[in-house]
Amino acid sequence: MRRLLHGLLGLTGLLALLEAAPRLGLVDARFLPPASEILRTLAGELTTAGLWLALGETMRGWAVGLALASGLAVAAGVVIGVVPGLRAATSSTVEFLRPIPSVALVPLATLLFGPSLGSTLLLVVYASFWQVLIQVLYGVAAVDPVAHDTARSYGLSAWSRVRHLVWPTSLPYVMTGLRLAAAVAFILAVTAELVIGSPGLGAEIQVAQSSGAVPTVYALIVVAGLIGIGVNTAVRLLERRVLAWHPAVREEVAG
Amino acid sequence: MLEIAQLSKTYESPGRSVEAIRSLTFDVAAGELVCVVGPSGCGKTTLLRAVAGLLPASGGEVRLDGVPVTGPPPRMAVVFQEYGRSLFPWMTVWQNVELPLKEKKVPAPRRRELVTQSLESVGLGDAARAHPWQLSGGMQQRVAIARAVAYEPQVMLMDEPFAAVDAQTRADLEDLILRLWRDLEVTTLFVTHDIDEAVYLGQRVIVLSSSPTVVMEDLKIDLPPERDQLGTRSLPRFGELRGHVYSRIQAARG
Amino acid sequence: MKAVRLLGLPVLLVLLWWAVSGGSFYLPSPDRVAVAFAETWFSDRLTGDVLPSVGRLLAGYALAALLGGWLGVPIGLSPRLRATLEPVLEFFRAIPPPVLVPLIMLLAGIDTPMKVLVIVSGCVWPVLLNTVEGVRALDEVLADTCRMYGIRGWPRVRGFVLRGASPQIMAGLRQALSIGIILMVISEMFASSSGLGFTIVLFQRQFQIAEMWSGILLLGLLGLGLSLLFRRLERWVLSWYYGSGAARA
Ligand SMILES: Nc1ncnc2c1ncn2[C@@H]1O[C@H](COP(=O)(O)OP(=O)(O)OP(=O)(O)O)[C@@H](O)[C@H]1O
Ligand SMILES: [Mg+2]
Repeated sequence: MRRLLHGLLGLTGLLALLEAAPRLGLVDARFLPPASEILRTLAGELTTAGLWLALGETMRGWAVGLALASGLAVAAGVVIGVVPGLRAATSSTVEFLRPIPSVALVPLATLLFGPSLGSTLLLVVYASFWQVLIQVLYGVAAVDPVAHDTARSYGLSAWSRVRHLVWPTSLPYVMTGLRLAAAVAFILAVTAELVIGSPGLGAEIQVAQSSGAVPTVYALIVVAGLIGIGVNTAVRLLERRVLAWHPAVREEVAG
Repeated sequence: MLEIAQLSKTYESPGRSVEAIRSLTFDVAAGELVCVVGPSGCGKTTLLRAVAGLLPASGGEVRLDGVPVTGPPPRMAVVFQEYGRSLFPWMTVWQNVELPLKEKKVPAPRRRELVTQSLESVGLGDAARAHPWQLSGGMQQRVAIARAVAYEPQVMLMDEPFAAVDAQTRADLEDLILRLWRDLEVTTLFVTHDIDEAVYLGQRVIVLSSSPTVVMEDLKIDLPPERDQLGTRSLPRFGELRGHVYSRIQAARG
Repeated sequence: MKAVRLLGLPVLLVLLWWAVSGGSFYLPSPDRVAVAFAETWFSDRLTGDVLPSVGRLLAGYALAALLGGWLGVPIGLSPRLRATLEPVLEFFRAIPPPVLVPLIMLLAGIDTPMKVLVIVSGCVWPVLLNTVEGVRALDEVLADTCRMYGIRGWPRVRGFVLRGASPQIMAGLRQALSIGIILMVISEMFASSSGLGFTIVLFQRQFQIAEMWSGILLLGLLGLGLSLLFRRLERWVLSWYYGSGAARA
């Protein structure tokens, strides 16, 4: 309760500061409009269909890209982790490809897909794939060797081993990867729109900026922040939900 | 020297208040070694933290040389119950012992001397360059003791320092404390839940009741001042004292 | 045997690249990319585009690290300050950093200050929030130990607060590094006339496909190099942490 109050105080303080600074002439109101004006613009934007369409585009790129990347990464991770020797054979390649900044692919995406969903997907999938893959690999490596030997000595097939042993053990790791990937995917979706011009929130911001509509730029950035918070909260909830039975989460809640 | 007068502590948190200590009154004379025993959860750590000036009391006060304690006094050292956590893991054993001395602006040559001596005295002369996590539990505890000793305190507070070590190490550490106490003439308040340990070490034993806590008994230990693990513990008087404290604690629980 | 494991797959992939690249417009063969790489980047582009880019990245990153750590310590130490600022900070962290590029261009023009500012504005949040979290979770027994032995002020911050929070601070710095590289590239893709990001986009616009690929390769190598350097640094700063086994818990 106290925390909530303090938090509200902080937010109010920020708004007051953003309101006062341009009004008192501390900063140029052309570059930093007062908070009230930003909020008014935001309210206006929210009633236009254009913003919602753009948001829909962004979220589509985000969701499809994230789903594709996670599916691929989980499949690849389980195969790499389960097939003997594959882990060692792939590690140098993974270590090399993973740190490649996904924005390096911007020119390639532009060339292949132009300003369209395809570009967004290429960047989003590349960036989120590694986040999930690395976690899946950790997860598969965390399978208790004793449990693994037990399963083998009872003659469980490879498929049952994956289903009943590897998958449940790595699930918390997968969820961690998904949480990290969700944030990264959102950043890259907006980036693709901003830089390549694929339709969506990023493109709207770019248009507003080049037409000099400063309050709109701010309003859209606020929207981006709110979506960002929404994305983070949603995956946290999903993680809780999926792992409710899992000891790792129970400890976290208790502790 | 150390006076604890009507000390009380109630932990207040939203929706819950725990009366850990109702009222405690006792003195510790200069150079004395006093043991405090009591059942788990009776507020021994709370008492110690209040004496150390780490925890504001709800009522009453603690006086050191007649001056009320409001924050950690300069010449007091504490060995915490969670000794492993009280050592800085990123520092070596040497640095851990040296740090408080640096803060006291002890000149470097004297510092070196103090650290060497105190590590020698706890038998860790060789481990100076190790990190705490490379040592066993008992060794870590000795580092914490060495740090307290090197600080040259006037008063030393110890909170169940041997709760987590094996019996043999424990006996060794008990004798180490007795030796250091005698050599340095430092006033010591030693908290434990082990009755044998309290009777073996203390000149006096303060028995606490279970929560809400009061002093059940302030018992003088009339054993010969020279103590040793086998001789002292097999004295008939040792058995009597132990039995006495035991029955008081049982009564406290009931 | 080890060499086979290490190089087997990469060699296989390059061979595959060779096989599929025959005649493809978008995917020149590896040897053409290699030649383009040597010609493009071992020239005055190195001093004119690459080094300035990396310099801006490092400058922005260092500023963000200082700022984030410097603000994070007091916020982490004070529960009241933390409760007040947490929602604000969470909001700023949730903004995808690239959307700040157009805004900062408005405020700071299109030159070096803008690019550095963009990098700072994106990198500072992970460092700040992780520092706050690390400082908040400092061990209480160690805090009591400091109080007992009269360790306060700057020695306390340096010897206890920053060291104790360093595992989280390093985690924040690692996140910040990848964000920093992204922002370095993006800030140069907008209204710029030099730099790594600009050059790569230029190659793409002029359909210099092999050069474009060599740029992608260079960015990859840069990312890899920086992440290896960072791992070195991390091993060194956190050697006590890995040694104590706390990292596994
Ligand atoms: N920070 C705190 N907030 C609320 N209650 C506390 C706090 N610390 C201790 N207590 C409560 O005060 C009582 C005494 O605790 P204390 O730690 O002093 O016991 P103790 O005698 O040292 O126990 P032990 O022998 O197990 O170490 C317990 O009931 C405990 O739950
Ligand atoms: Mg205790």
